[in-house]
Amino acid sequence: MRFPKLNLWDGPPGPPSLVLVLVATLLAAPPAITYRDGGFIATGKLSFAVSLHQPDAPALDGTLAHTSNETIFTPRYPPQPGATYRIDVTGQPPILIRVPDRAPRPPATLTAVYPSASVLPENQLKLYLHFSAPMSRSEAVRRIRLLRQNGESVSLPFLEIDEELWDPDARRLTLLFDPGRIKRGLLPRQEVGAALIPGERYTLVIDAAWPDAYGQPLAQGIRHEFTAGPADRTPVNPRTWRLTPTAKDLLIDFGEPLDSALAPRLIRVLDVPGQVVLEQNETRLRFTPHQPWKPGTYTLEVHPALEDLAGNRVNRPFDVDRFDRVTTIQDREPPTQIVFTVR
Amino acid sequence: MKLTTAILLGASLASAATLSDSLQSGKAALQSAGPLAFGPEGILFVGDTKGAAIFAFDTGDQKTTKSATPVDLQGLGGKIGALVGVTADQILVNDLAVNPLSKNIYLSVSRGKGPEAIPVIVKIDGAGKITELKLENIRHASVALPNAPAADAMERGRSKRQEAITDLAWADGRVLVAGLSNEEFSSNLRAIPFPFRSADQGASVEIFHGAHGRFETNSPVRTFVPYQIAGESYVLAAYTCTPLVKLPMSSLKSGAKVKGTTIAELGNGNRPLDMVVYQKEGKDFILMNNSSRGVMKLPTNNLGSAPAITAKTDITGVPYETLAQFKGVEQLDRYDAGRALMLVRSDAGSLDLKTVALP
Repeated sequence: MRFPKLNLWDGPPGPPSLVLVLVATLLAAPPAITYRDGGFIATGKLSFAVSLHQPDAPALDGTLAHTSNETIFTPRYPPQPGATYRIDVTGQPPILIRVPDRAPRPPATLTAVYPSASVLPENQLKLYLHFSAPMSRSEAVRRIRLLRQNGESVSLPFLEIDEELWDPDARRLTLLFDPGRIKRGLLPRQEVGAALIPGERYTLVIDAAWPDAYGQPLAQGIRHEFTAGPADRTPVNPRTWRLTPTAKDLLIDFGEPLDSALAPRLIRVLDVPGQVVLEQNETRLRFTPHQPWKPGTYTLEVHPALEDLAGNRVNRPFDVDRFDRVTTIQDREPPTQIVFTVR
Repeated sequence: MKLTTAILLGASLASAATLSDSLQSGKAALQSAGPLAFGPEGILFVGDTKGAAIFAFDTGDQKTTKSATPVDLQGLGGKIGALVGVTADQILVNDLAVNPLSKNIYLSVSRGKGPEAIPVIVKIDGAGKITELKLENIRHASVALPNAPAADAMERGRSKRQEAITDLAWADGRVLVAGLSNEEFSSNLRAIPFPFRSADQGASVEIFHGAHGRFETNSPVRTFVPYQIAGESYVLAAYTCTPLVKLPMSSLKSGAKVKGTTIAELGNGNRPLDMVVYQKEGKDFILMNNSSRGVMKLPTNNLGSAPAITAKTDITGVPYETLAQFKGVEQLDRYDAGRALMLVRSDAGSLDLKTVALP
């Protein structure tokens, strides 16, 4: 008889020895065990143990259930696609079962890098990498390089942290430039200098081998270029923004690019639900109310945690001169409110 | 006299019971297992970045052991993987903590590397046996970390904001929590009273530090360790931007803006991951491992009197020594009075648990 395809003998490679053939002939046919929907299934009533196929692996914890004609072992955790498990039935040689691979899916791509502007301040604080699909953790450090225009790698430009700053869906990674090399007067900046030098051209190189959450590499590597410009040490000041209500929207021109994650979250029109879109390299926000504007006055509210590209907040620069200045910052910084009129 | 004793005994029993009384049996909805810290009575605190919460678990592991048995396990990823049914490449060890009572070793683990990774807590005993701390029916409590500033969460779709919990510690009846947001760059150290009370999510303190007397800036705290200096409780905290500061524990009050005293700058490439305090030959030292680039030892005998770094000439602050014998140390905790445990990434890429004498 032919055994089901997934059943493999855990014997030495090569043709079975005479002894094995004899034993196999003397014993009844080994039980047919298959894998289906997260469970290992045997025909009839049978007691068996499942473990990962590697030396000294313990039997997996799980539940054994009997139906009228099957025994189903469901491990405590879902089996890993593509991994091989060993089934031990008393008095039988072990059976190896390879769990099917995941259904193929299109490879992930890097869909955007923010800020999108081609010139960034030399004290740029964050980059956001957006991916089309969930990615694997614990890979970023070795998959990202920052090259100078002469092709040399910038040494340790980003803060390397085990946690990696992903969003809950693992599709957006926040990359922090090493703050020790941005802040003035700190040792790393004095030892090795700032990561970015004004006037220099840089290329952020994303390795195509970066695996997505399912272990597949990216569709392709990416090279994202930008130039470093002068430092920005000026706090965000919403009072200098230009507000232009149109028939359908409100356009808010910041006069500088703002943080692409914070601006849509921390700017709102009070009591008017609507959609926000950042435009023109994050220097403008377009607010579109769900219901058309009615003539009247409205209030734009800006949360104090809003940051520009260099981490300067509303009314607070990234580095503050003197602690006295810090202590005068109010405990609960109020939001900035700007009244505008729609005619 | 007898009555007084009885009352005192009653009071101490009552207070001892309070800590574990707050823990309720049931399934713990832990979404991710990050930083670990032990409190009293074998209570294990776990930072859950994905769920934006801190969990307290009753490990039931309270049998006191004074001297730990050296444990050396090679290929720990494969061993933990075999326990939970995946290959070694699907195991990420996020933190390591030693139960100070039993000296058993606890690890927080991700089973899988994507957003659907399953959090697992494993325990390793002195014989090297690995078991799982099962969370389906365990006495536990949790406290949600406050939400970030959100303008119009309902309108703007699902928030992408997440705050990575970077360190946890138990000190003076409070759980101290350091975090790093994936959006705003802010410095918040939170002190949450335990037993958890839903209304009290703890004091959030914004910490600034000076650099050479000219600039005062804030930065997220990366890792920290509670420490006594001349009988007073302090937190020694390392920032993402390299200064090492001391803060009096008493300053951690809600809404406070605290200026830490900068006592050392660790320089480029030194980003502390874990710090432990230990005593050797009557002196206190701090051992810290740094982003897989070396382990440093700092004497602490002069921390109380160490002058703050306020001028350019003071740049090095408290001297430190880089210990060349330790390489690839990803996790570190004190094992017992004379030994430390290290989780080391070998040159071949395997993850090994090693017991080492404190240097």
